[in-house]
Amino acid sequence: MVNYTPTSDEVRLYEIAVLYPYPMNQKEEAELLKGIKAIFDEAGAKEIFKDVWGRRGLAYKIGGFDEGNFIIFYMEMDPSKLKELDEALRILKGMLRHMIVKPPKNYVITSYADGEKKWKETHRLEGERKSQEREDKKLKQVVDKARRTTKAVETKKPDVEAKPMTGEALTQELDKLISDKDLEL
Amino acid sequence: MATPRRNNNQNQNRADPRSKRCEFCTPGSGKGPADPKQTLYIDYKDYGAMKPFIDYFGNIRARYYSGVCLRHQKMLKMAVEKARFMGMLAYRK
Repeated sequence: MVNYTPTSDEVRLYEIAVLYPYPMNQKEEAELLKGIKAIFDEAGAKEIFKDVWGRRGLAYKIGGFDEGNFIIFYMEMDPSKLKELDEALRILKGMLRHMIVKPPKNYVITSYADGEKKWKETHRLEGERKSQEREDKKLKQVVDKARRTTKAVETKKPDVEAKPMTGEALTQELDKLISDKDLEL
Repeated sequence: MATPRRNNNQNQNRADPRSKRCEFCTPGSGKGPADPKQTLYIDYKDYGAMKPFIDYFGNIRARYYSGVCLRHQKMLKMAVEKARFMGMLAYRK
């Protein structure tokens, strides 16, 4: 991480992203990098930080290439030289794409590797938190269900066992039933 | 007999789009009051920051669904367009 503070009022920070194809001769690559450096020197740009991303897959084919090499330069330079630099980078041989961005004030320069590491860490923590929440919810559901079932068992009335009638009591009960006038047999 | 009117929110099983908060104004939860430490710049190199706001086909999600405020939606649009130009993101999958 680099905290940039401008050295004078005439210069400011620029972020220059450069993309060149991945399967490239070492000789050609060295030549290209030399050319980029020469352009920067000509514009009087001072390098603050250089972030080499290396080989990366492209989201779509550019100039017939599926993969490319990314380099992000953080340069301090005079804004009046920007147009020349942009034009020179555009016509440089072997370059696929380039882009110049003005970062906002108090921009903290971080390398891609650091940023990715941080993002992965936060992503992992977030995932862990979510899975923990899910497990807690499941546990709560199980506990609630168990509580409900125990309550239902407790409230249920105990069954009264019917005792079989025998002898005189049975005959008396039968007579009572037969003599009932409301009963139409 | 008139059939009872169905509640859309219940049936579609999704959060009410009006109740969402801008993720860039309130980093982390996406809920709660606006944070003074809100995002001032969305970096086109930061794929992790842009990813939740891009759908499968590579389109930027509408504010109505993502809940992003207009200010941050414009920042997001610029960042995504820059990333697309540099081949980091697809224009169309």
